[in-house]
Amino acid sequence: MSFDFDLLVRFAPLLLSGFLITVVICFFAGIVAMIVGLIVSLGLLSKFALLRWLCRIYVEVMRGTPILIVLFLMYYGGPSFGLTLSAETVGIFGMGLYGGGYFAEIFRSGFQSIPIGQIEAARMLGIGKSAIIWRIRIPQMLTLILPPLTNQMILLVKESAVLSIITVAELTKNTTQMVNETFATLEPYLAAAILYWILIEGIALLGATIEKRVKH
Amino acid sequence: MLAEGAVFTASLSLCAIVLGVFFGLLLCFGLMSKNKSLRFASKVYRSVWRGTPLLVQLLIIFYFLPHAGINLPPLGAAVIALTMNTAAFQAEIYRGGLMTIPNGQIEAARMLGISTFAIRKNILTPQMFRVVLPSLINETISILKNSSLISVIGVTELLRTSQQIVATTYRPFEVYILAALAYLAMTISLAAIGRYFERRLGKGQRAAHVL
Amino acid sequence: MADAEKLALNAAPNGAPIIEVRDLHKRFGSLEVLKGIELEVRPSEVVCIIGPSGSGKSTLLRSMAFLEEYEDGEVLIEGRLLGYRQTPSGRRRDTDRNIDAVRNCIGMVFQQFNLWPHKTTLSNVTEALRVVQKMDRASAEKRAMENLEKVGMRSKAHEYPGQLSGGQQQRVAIARALAKQPRIMFFDEPTSALDPELVGEVLNVMQTLAKEGMTMVIVTHEMGFAARVADRVIFMDQGVVVEQGAPADLFETPRSNRLRQFLETWNERSSGDG
Repeated sequence: MSFDFDLLVRFAPLLLSGFLITVVICFFAGIVAMIVGLIVSLGLLSKFALLRWLCRIYVEVMRGTPILIVLFLMYYGGPSFGLTLSAETVGIFGMGLYGGGYFAEIFRSGFQSIPIGQIEAARMLGIGKSAIIWRIRIPQMLTLILPPLTNQMILLVKESAVLSIITVAELTKNTTQMVNETFATLEPYLAAAILYWILIEGIALLGATIEKRVKH
Repeated sequence: MLAEGAVFTASLSLCAIVLGVFFGLLLCFGLMSKNKSLRFASKVYRSVWRGTPLLVQLLIIFYFLPHAGINLPPLGAAVIALTMNTAAFQAEIYRGGLMTIPNGQIEAARMLGISTFAIRKNILTPQMFRVVLPSLINETISILKNSSLISVIGVTELLRTSQQIVATTYRPFEVYILAALAYLAMTISLAAIGRYFERRLGKGQRAAHVL
Repeated sequence: MADAEKLALNAAPNGAPIIEVRDLHKRFGSLEVLKGIELEVRPSEVVCIIGPSGSGKSTLLRSMAFLEEYEDGEVLIEGRLLGYRQTPSGRRRDTDRNIDAVRNCIGMVFQQFNLWPHKTTLSNVTEALRVVQKMDRASAEKRAMENLEKVGMRSKAHEYPGQLSGGQQQRVAIARALAKQPRIMFFDEPTSALDPELVGEVLNVMQTLAKEGMTMVIVTHEMGFAARVADRVIFMDQGVVVEQGAPADLFETPRSNRLRQFLETWNERSSGDG
């Protein structure tokens, strides 16, 4: 058995287009996840017990269910409700809603790790509740949670491989297609692993860079 | 049928976790070894298995090993993939746990002439397991959830069973909701156990204050 | 400051009380921390509250700022009830907006400084001016600089709290509270979190404020400072005011056993330190 470079060159466009789809879907899913996560985390810290409770259920369900089930429910179960979505849309929103459950917990612990005294100082200066959230809590929380946020984003990228199962033409799907067409396994999977690794290291590097810049 | 699938999923995950404890510990001591090449090899292993999607790992093991002359039934490939994956994550958990043990204890043992192996076995590992128990339970939850991926290579665990039911009943929504509930029942009970240990270790979070 | 000088400045705190506390009660669960406190503070008066830890002195100050929501009794700031409003059906917790309005004249300094670590010294001070008083950047920064100058921190305006010593951080916190131009200043153990050698610089700033006629309520363990600067010292123990009076009377001729014991313990400790 030998390593066939020509094979990789021939299939490079297929693999790279898969890589690109993975990047784009993860990017948008990450944005959805952050928005959902932020809203849910505010709900988790709400004064209203009912809202706290609902958000807690959301988080527990998302963290306790395999992502494949969430995707299957949206992709195969959605049409029963007249909700027919493309595989890519299911990918973005499925991963976004799923990741939102994890992001919410990260945001919540970030909010809670800000010493209560800082909030009291703001209140004594007459600064209003929403200004405290936007100007004092969120900026600090973001610096505190950057490392877990980066980790979670990396997990999201790795989870995105399962989108191949609902036929999104992302990296894993295209790699499998190459395997099926060429009967080679080593080259395609090795290439896929390297591409994932590049993406993940890239995110880790980005996270570390931002962290360094915002740290005082 | 679903219940059978759930039991299968649970035992498979447990199996991978238990095997993972052994290989995870091995890898952990490899990561902390004085031997440079052993340390390097361990790092590469950790980096590869933590840095690529489990699905890709599973597909490689399932499709590539036969090419290399090793024929494995899908179940075997599944157990190997889950175990090798969790070992990398567990090694990191153990490393973190060992770092919480004061160095003075090791120095004291060394001064008493206790061998490195005995220090690890009798002093470090027992203490470490108490510290890492909550993280280990989190890892079990994630393996339990990730085990759904092996449906792809045709192992009839919980998700695969659900798919088969969907194929005959054409009721994807109801069936997948049931499957989700089955997973939730397992993960939530695990999480409850985790919280129990966390409380016992006195590492519980302070009471949540509201915004 | 010499006693005579002090007497000349604000010996006769005049007019109606600026703060009135009437029969104040506060519970944490089943534990009653404040058991019916009565207190009046007059304009320009400097009141120090002393007492053993757990005596309720910090809780009293925090209740007077409504950071702790007291259950029974009243706190009146410049004649207005803080934290509650009367309705036909009884007393209700007031809206945040009204609470802010009533305590607008109070500036507060905390034990842990509570500066916002993601903002520079300058923007810590300008934050409330910009957000609450809607001042434009230039005038907010001008006001902030004047106050930083006053506490001797002007040169550190563009540094972050993490780069400052504890004493410097506390001086910035004082400037932050002063920038709002309060008529009353509350200090909650302002030097307790500081290394001994940094206590002096904070106390100096506070003494200057007292000299200028600021109304101040200070919870403190610094007996020397209380003796020098306070018009009145209040000794609290187990949720009640045990004794109060001019510092000279209180420290030299304590009437109650509890205060005598407290002072003895304190003397032993400080002579032990020296």
